[in-house]
Amino acid sequence: MEFGWAQDERTHRERVRAVLKGMLPPDWETIALHGPGSREQTIFSKTLCARLAQEHLLIPNWPKEFGGDDETVWRQFIMAEELWAIGEPRGPQYMNINWVGPVIMRFGTRPQIDKYLAPIRAGQAIWCQGFSEPSAGSDLAALRTRAVPVVGGYRVTGTKVWTSYAGLADTCFLLARIPSVNDSSQNKAAIVILLVDMRSPGIQVKPIPSLIGDGDIHEVFFDDVFVPAEERLGAEGQAWEIIQFLLQHERIGIPRYEFSRRILDRAVAKLKAIDRWSDPIVQERAGRALMLCEAARMLVYRIVDDKARGLAPDSFGSLARWSIVQADNGVNDFLTEFLPEGLLGDDPLQQAHHQRAISVGVASGAAEIQLNLAAQRWLELPREPRRS
Amino acid sequence: MNYGMTDDQTSILGGLDQLIASQAIPAPTEPRFFYYGAELERAVAEAGYLDIAREEGFGALEAALITERLARLTCVIEVAASSIIAPALAIPPGMRPIALALGDAGKPARFLPQARVLLVDRGTNVLLIEVDPNNVEPIDTLMAYPYGRLRSLEHLRQRVIDDATTFRRRWRVALAAEAAGCMAAGLAQVVEHVKARQAFGRPLGAFQAIQHRLAMAAETVESARWLALRAAWSDSDADAAMAAGFAQSRIAQITYDLHQFCGAMGLTLEFPLHLWTYRLRSLAGELGGASMQARSAAIATWGSA
Repeated sequence: MEFGWAQDERTHRERVRAVLKGMLPPDWETIALHGPGSREQTIFSKTLCARLAQEHLLIPNWPKEFGGDDETVWRQFIMAEELWAIGEPRGPQYMNINWVGPVIMRFGTRPQIDKYLAPIRAGQAIWCQGFSEPSAGSDLAALRTRAVPVVGGYRVTGTKVWTSYAGLADTCFLLARIPSVNDSSQNKAAIVILLVDMRSPGIQVKPIPSLIGDGDIHEVFFDDVFVPAEERLGAEGQAWEIIQFLLQHERIGIPRYEFSRRILDRAVAKLKAIDRWSDPIVQERAGRALMLCEAARMLVYRIVDDKARGLAPDSFGSLARWSIVQADNGVNDFLTEFLPEGLLGDDPLQQAHHQRAISVGVASGAAEIQLNLAAQRWLELPREPRRS
Repeated sequence: MNYGMTDDQTSILGGLDQLIASQAIPAPTEPRFFYYGAELERAVAEAGYLDIAREEGFGALEAALITERLARLTCVIEVAASSIIAPALAIPPGMRPIALALGDAGKPARFLPQARVLLVDRGTNVLLIEVDPNNVEPIDTLMAYPYGRLRSLEHLRQRVIDDATTFRRRWRVALAAEAAGCMAAGLAQVVEHVKARQAFGRPLGAFQAIQHRLAMAAETVESARWLALRAAWSDSDADAAMAAGFAQSRIAQITYDLHQFCGAMGLTLEFPLHLWTYRLRSLAGELGGASMQARSAAIATWGSA
């Protein structure tokens, strides 16, 4: 058992920090204020990710055969921590690296691999995730968007909602349902994954004004949109397997607690500067927020460690996810109480943190679903009977 | 970074489990506030587990692993102070059990009725008092530890240890490891209960309201455990304060929930839950409680000015 970093990992972290410091523009905090899905961050992400690619820091975790460096799990995670520490300047592109690319590598056809991985490697691809619908959020299997098989492909009709990055996305990773004999709303075998060109006729994107930043969430309407058959990912009936694979990658790679921890460090520096740090109440409350961040770190590391040691994934991720919700909100509560002016125009990065913190229990599926999973899979409690 | 145990650590805990299995652990057959495992304590001490941190190649981490494991038992023994604190203060191996007090030697202290040594944190230094059993007055409490206080503070055999910082840091690690074990065992007890107990035609544990709070308790257990082990490994003031403070900060919620889901049964001495939760309640106020630990963690991390 070992809770420290090896010398090469420390050196790697220092290099990543130095590289990122050199890449961030002076007005990064203002850019960050607009949210990861905003036009500002999306445009900036293409500049940043292209430079990260030049430094071999964009897809180091990918296998060499797909253009990566077969980076170790921990070195890859150090990179992710450093990116989150400064507010995740890859914007929408973080998910390309974490799961879109790996999913295509695993389940894509050769033409799909050639078509989609190259722009990701170059830091120029923007994807959106067409999962949630008005009546299917955490209960993903209830989705209703229909993909009707036609000659040469599918005709897609339906509505997606809360879709991050859709306004500027090139491609949508879309889940839809094929009409079938067994057309129950829970029939997972009827779900199909389509990689949809967002410039296709019949797609309309409508931004939803929100508390969490410009351009972050949208409604996306599909009106008889044709999607060629060669853009289906995996076989019909294989989608649920792909989704499970995807969710493992999606949920592991996000060290959100690191952003909270760095924002907390920064807040203490500010409190010192305005002569408030000597107040024992402030110190105590900062300490409590710190404990939450470090608890989240320890639980997330436990998952990363499993991956690094080649162990099979277990349900521990659900516990880690809950700890992250506690950490982000604990720091946000501390900042709101002791540095309220940060939300009144004084500190764009604090506001960006606030906007992420208020969505942490909702993004990537409701945190309460994680509690269900932890109860049933970690504690092995019986499932709540479904209502008939 | 590696969360896996070394072969040596696996072997140590495996051996400890065998030793526990070979002992007649007091079964909670009669309603008592606590069961003192004197025989087990002797066996654990004789087998060298309490001195593991004094061995070449081992340290506080192995002692914390042992403490956490033994804290899961229904009976209580003094292991944390002997295995985690004493080696760091060069207290000889045989001088145990050890009781701990903050500020005043006359305060009630855990394990004092059994203790040979009382360590008193006096802020700038530590007072080591050799305990005369005739000078100890046992105290009846709700807590699941034996408590006592010194009858007289006159003519004590005592000496001063200067390194109060190390003492406090190791006390925090000891507290965190013990709390983590108690939390884990208490949660396991309640999980079994809610799986078996039926209400409205299904197990209690199938109700989402209960599932969510037990899942939150599981997050508390795991966080407390890993923070404690990290603090034992790093032996840093900040990590130790965070580990102890986190555990203490969650004690109120986890003890409330664990008892709540056992209903009135959880309020009886017949049901063994209190054997862990009333250790936790005892630990909640040690060293000034969660607020003091949180403040210490903040100062250790960011400085006081």
